Amino acid sequence: MAQHQVNYTQDGGLPVALTSIDKIVNWGRSNSLWALTYGLACCGIEMMASGASRYDFDRFGTIFRASPRQSEVMIVAGTLTKKHAEFIKRLYDQMAEPRWVISMGSCANTGGMFNTYATVQGVDRIIPVDLYLPGCAPRPETLQYAVMMLQKKIRSEKAGKSQRPKRLL
Amino acid sequence: MQQPNRLRPFFENITFDREDNEMIINFGPQHPSAHGQLRLILHLQQEQITKAHPDIGYLHRGMEKMAENMIYNEFMPTTDRMDYIASSSNNYGFALAVEKLIDVNVPRRAKVIRMMLLEINRLMSHLFWLATTALDIGAMTVFLYAFREREYLMDIIEDYCGARLTHAAIRIGGVPLDIPDNFIHDLKEFLDKLPANIKDYEDLLDKNRIWLMRMEKVGVISEEMALSWACTGPMLRASGVKWDIRKEEPYELYDEVEFEVPYSDKGDNYARYKVYMAEMRESAKILYQTIDMYAETVKNNETELMAHAPQYISAPKLDIMTQNYSLMQHFVLVTQGMRPPVGEVYVATESPKGELGFYINSQGGPYPYRLKLRAPSFWHTGILTDLLPGHYIPDVVSIIGTTNIVFGEVDR
Amino acid sequence: MRAYKPKDDVQKKSYYTDRYWVAPQVPTSQVEDDAVFAADLAAIKAKFDVSEAYIQVEQMVVYIKPEDNYGVLELLRDELGYTQLSEMSAIDWIAKQGQFEIFYQMLSMSKRKRLRIKCFIDEKQAINSVSTLFRSADWSEREMYDMMGTIVNNHPYMKRILMPDDWEGHPLRKTYPLQGDEFAAWYEVDRIYGKEARDIIGPEIRDSAEVDRFDSKRFSRLGHEVPMGYDIKANGEPEKGLEYQEEGGVFMIEKFVEDDAVIIKDRKR
Repeated sequence: MAQHQVNYTQDGGLPVALTSIDKIVNWGRSNSLWALTYGLACCGIEMMASGASRYDFDRFGTIFRASPRQSEVMIVAGTLTKKHAEFIKRLYDQMAEPRWVISMGSCANTGGMFNTYATVQGVDRIIPVDLYLPGCAPRPETLQYAVMMLQKKIRSEKAGKSQRPKRLL
Repeated sequence: MQQPNRLRPFFENITFDREDNEMIINFGPQHPSAHGQLRLILHLQQEQITKAHPDIGYLHRGMEKMAENMIYNEFMPTTDRMDYIASSSNNYGFALAVEKLIDVNVPRRAKVIRMMLLEINRLMSHLFWLATTALDIGAMTVFLYAFREREYLMDIIEDYCGARLTHAAIRIGGVPLDIPDNFIHDLKEFLDKLPANIKDYEDLLDKNRIWLMRMEKVGVISEEMALSWACTGPMLRASGVKWDIRKEEPYELYDEVEFEVPYSDKGDNYARYKVYMAEMRESAKILYQTIDMYAETVKNNETELMAHAPQYISAPKLDIMTQNYSLMQHFVLVTQGMRPPVGEVYVATESPKGELGFYINSQGGPYPYRLKLRAPSFWHTGILTDLLPGHYIPDVVSIIGTTNIVFGEVDR
Repeated sequence: MRAYKPKDDVQKKSYYTDRYWVAPQVPTSQVEDDAVFAADLAAIKAKFDVSEAYIQVEQMVVYIKPEDNYGVLELLRDELGYTQLSEMSAIDWIAKQGQFEIFYQMLSMSKRKRLRIKCFIDEKQAINSVSTLFRSADWSEREMYDMMGTIVNNHPYMKRILMPDDWEGHPLRKTYPLQGDEFAAWYEVDRIYGKEARDIIGPEIRDSAEVDRFDSKRFSRLGHEVPMGYDIKANGEPEKGLEYQEEGGVFMIEKFVEDDAVIIKDRKR
């Protein structure tokens, strides 16, 4: 005889949830987006600020990791120069799939104000990008918005079957 | 598709076949505690560094070349992206250099506002330095605390110019705007709390055993070495040279305010940390005085914010909108740019990192013929070549932390 | 045939030129006006040839022979108290006179004075390194070589510092275009993907003034987001931007309702 009767229809509701595999996998993926910090220049400072006290990204499940192997999303924050370009490709290749890229700031989007010999005119010449953030430098709120947009994008993807590898070439 | 043979490692300077036990490791260019894109090639004998070779240039964006293809006013926002922790100090350095070249006098009220911006930027920079250095060494709490205070300062700056990070808040010949109504109130409120905050950080760090082990007698820079490597700012002052450009070659109204120049003769990481903390207090002291100076200019009804030099500097907006001649001048200055006289100038200012100098060679055209940016971090990175050998791997992080290098400035 | 344009100075030029406008000069004064500088100059003149010297914007400028640079700097450091070499670099005068102008910016902390030592070298001529006198010159000379292509003798490690080792050309020369030459334009593609990928990736878009509001590939459309590559002209623009949460919230997460939110006015300074 059960000593403690639990009324499943009241209080916390059922301890059972019915959902599809897609939803539960995407729920997990979208709510623990660990970000590979790719702070290259000024935008990197705003990225740090969004991880720090006031903006506090940890509450979105976005924890900044310094290792490509442990992260899902690469936030390219800052000017990518031609000297650096091959390293971003190498780190992107080291990330486990599924992986996403946020290009943060004008420099990473298009080269921005640095229309010179030394800058790559847009990080999308090197790696595929999912989200572009405008601004020089974008505010932490913009980065928050981008992460939420990315979460929505992830939720709309099919999680069940293996994803088409994103490659530039 | 990536071909395997294209993924070869990039060690163009390194030979791997060595007889001795030397190990070569690569630190960066994308390392979380390298404060940007510093790449260090370290030769190790067990855990001790025998040779260090800093490799920079991963953030070289061609600013000097850009300057040669731009009119003077156009270059102002680019200077923001040099030392992006304290952008107004770069704006100021450039503005001062051009003002010396064209020989204009900035109105007193603009000078006061500039000093406020500069000192707020110094505080922001030092707080950021403290936060990141503490984080690198493992003190997460200090990082969160210092960033909290920095956000308040950013709010104040944002009230003034609308930007958080890249201010472009200073113009050649003055400042574009008067300070907003709540500025003084907010600033005072912040400054009143600052000493308690600094004490908080010091309580957390000063007697902390780990902090002391990582800081004391690590990264000792002798006076001779600091001078030879052209170190400036806190790096030089922590090595026993009491040299602060604000004091020795005063610009703006620094000769009217009272402040101390903190220095130490130890030369190690801990001395630099102490110098930074003391400088924050001095900055607060200067800010209190500038608040009084500002009130004085309000009392004397000195409302001018831009210098009067119609040949080089646009008239105030009201004049442009109402007076035909001012509009014509403004049109010419915006489309063609100002044409400073033929000559050259080197002006050094004390940025939070050290001596920030602008060398401008003008040939009478609207674009500078040559503009050399003398960024302090460049040599503070160079000194790692001589400083790191003899230290251990964990010391690298704390030494890079206390040198306070910013790569926008190193590589330009 | 394409029209020939001289390539000795490809830098941007002012489109407006006034033939009758004479540029004013930054005022210079005699060295004798300043006692400290006059003594310093006399000390330099006693040992080395000085072709010109004057004071401009509170700093003395001294022109010397290029082969004397080490000696003059040694004299300044050891006897005259100019202990710091703040800055050194070169100026490109090749288009005008086939020479580089090299300047050394010195600082004396005891005298609180700054002076500038200058000399001219020919394009292919080498200059002696001063990095044994001032360690700071080690990196400055490397930067000068990297940016200008001036050769420095007796330097311990004469390699590029800012640009990659396999870079071609010296960016700060007036003959080098601001947006890079052919090599620079394809540098990262060649390096990472190989030359055969050039066609796939395509050339750089360098026109910063190019704005196409129907371009859904290169521009973020904050508030009116569309998927990348979406044809806005054919399918129309969305009225409202994408919301970051689906209607009714996500699995186990309630949807944020703006009306229920508390907005804090004061950030509690």
